[in-house]
Amino acid sequence: MNTNSNAYTVIYTALVVVVVAAVLAFTAMKLKPSQDANAKAETLRQMMSAAQIKPTDELYATRNAGVLQLYADNIDRAYTIGLDGQENGTLSTDLKKIELIDKLKPQNKAIKDGGEATLPVYVFKSGISVIPVYGAGLWGPIWGYIAFQPDGRTIAGAYFDHESETPGLGAKIKDEAWFREKFAGKQVAFGSEPLFNLAKNAEQSGAANAVDAITGATMTSKGLGEALNVWFKAYEKHFSANFKAEEE
Amino acid sequence: MEYISLFVKSIFVDNMIFAYFLGMCSYLAVSKNVKTANGLGLAVVFVLFCTLPINWVLNTYVLQPGALKWLGPQFAEVDLSFLSFIIFIAVIAAFVQIVEMIVEKYLPSLYASLGIFLPLIAVNCSILGGSLFMQQRDFTGLGESAVYALGSGIGWYLAIVCLAAIREKLSYSNVPAPLKGIGITFITVGLMGMAFMIFMGIQL
Amino acid sequence: MDPKLKETILNPILKGNPITVLILGICSSLAVTVQLKGALVMAISVTLVTGLSSLVCSLLRNTIPMRVRIIVQLVVVALMVILVDQILKAGEGTYAIDKQLSVYIGLIITNCIVMGRIEAFALGNKPIPSLLDGLANGVGYGLILIIVAFFRELFGSGTLFGIQILPAGYIPNNLVILPPFALILLGCIIWAQRAWDKDLQEK
Repeated sequence: MNTNSNAYTVIYTALVVVVVAAVLAFTAMKLKPSQDANAKAETLRQMMSAAQIKPTDELYATRNAGVLQLYADNIDRAYTIGLDGQENGTLSTDLKKIELIDKLKPQNKAIKDGGEATLPVYVFKSGISVIPVYGAGLWGPIWGYIAFQPDGRTIAGAYFDHESETPGLGAKIKDEAWFREKFAGKQVAFGSEPLFNLAKNAEQSGAANAVDAITGATMTSKGLGEALNVWFKAYEKHFSANFKAEEE
Repeated sequence: MEYISLFVKSIFVDNMIFAYFLGMCSYLAVSKNVKTANGLGLAVVFVLFCTLPINWVLNTYVLQPGALKWLGPQFAEVDLSFLSFIIFIAVIAAFVQIVEMIVEKYLPSLYASLGIFLPLIAVNCSILGGSLFMQQRDFTGLGESAVYALGSGIGWYLAIVCLAAIREKLSYSNVPAPLKGIGITFITVGLMGMAFMIFMGIQL
Repeated sequence: MDPKLKETILNPILKGNPITVLILGICSSLAVTVQLKGALVMAISVTLVTGLSSLVCSLLRNTIPMRVRIIVQLVVVALMVILVDQILKAGEGTYAIDKQLSVYIGLIITNCIVMGRIEAFALGNKPIPSLLDGLANGVGYGLILIIVAFFRELFGSGTLFGIQILPAGYIPNNLVILPPFALILLGCIIWAQRAWDKDLQEK
């Protein structure tokens, strides 16, 4: 057979493309549920680590099913708010169909450009509420979860993650437990500026809303500080309206 | 202003070679003298500049989750992102092949100086890498991705011409025998990378 | 064992190592060597991809039209890479690692080792030797990756596979984790190999 004729080349290429596309579509379809389950469990682990449900290591040693169960057992209610601070939707917390807002990128865009946002608030039975934050680090996106005490301004815990920050420098926001532990007990200064201060030697001021940046990871810290302030700002109205009653 | 910042950043800060090691194979193989380095560098700039915007369009209107919304609301949930590697590489390979044919036919003098590098470029990681970074970073428009492509290409070009110039001089120096050739080149690239790190954190 | 087959398997690991001798596949290799775990996964992924794509291309070798050879090869390689990526994403234990390797998994497609072995070996040989050649090249590549990652993790973080090895007082050397150091380290590995095996030295 002449493998160099035009007809053969065209038919061959078409056949290869069809076969490859079929194989890919099949695997993608088959694997999609477990991929989504992985992503969901990952989000829940980070959220519950921030909310101090269990230590981070233990959460990461728990398998996906256990993580979902743990969340369903501990969550009180989950809802979304718009940019005006008003509640605009609820998220299911039923074990069988847990709903999360885990695509933070479009929300971040909505906050910056104004527009329709659905910002999640996850309230746990312990009274702690968790909100996400999202922003740009040095190399790629960084995000995290901040847990608030029932007073709605004292931070109970935090968890940060990133896509591609420099290991050993920027990646410390995720890898070093001491960094996220620093956030516990700090207070977000809702109603004044800046809401939160993440900078070099910020703790020297003694302010309740200040945390020292990571040495050597200037850009990542800067991005994280900005992410915190942008997202806290978006939640400011909601938190100062809904949690005031519990303050002294 | 944003474009200028992105442009400068992609040349110096996010340099394809020194920050991401992309396109290393041909970078090391074709940097023995400035003339050929020049040819390959220009070819990379050209291919990157043309394929990245094409891939941006494909990514935005075909591949990413919800991209097919323009076909009708029933397509809003379709997520073809698992096909992106294969589509990107096919676009690049096809583009390179087409360009090669056109250049050979209509611009023989350009083909003589650039042509031999074109097949090499289909497998140059910096081209595919550019498209993958474009997807990961969510560029908002055609302009942004074109500027990024141009900047990254020029960054790559700059890097290969610099290295070629250093290697030309290096052939006169007395390097320990086992380190000769590729060994010392690696170390040189490492040192150049360190020098490029001073650009990190530049704000415009 | 057949000496020719043995040669096929052993050659890529030392004398014809794809990284240090053929200088192929540097692109994606250096960025994933900050930690041993990532390097190990990358090594396994690349080994699988080179092995399988060599096998498939060798099976197809008599039917591929010459003119579209490169594109067909790239499509086969891309198929393997996507499969590896999808499987890593779907496994409960491997999900986190896939996230860490991000774009570099995709870049296995243009890893010159894969294409290089298909062009140089698989297109002219029977399927079984091609599979072995692909796997052996992947191993040779992985070996270098792991050596580099060993030094970078040990001195850059004081750990190996995430377990603290150096005493707690050790201040991690931040230079080691930065990209340029990987190149310098690789230069030194080449230096050591060529000092030991004089045949490889360049004039």
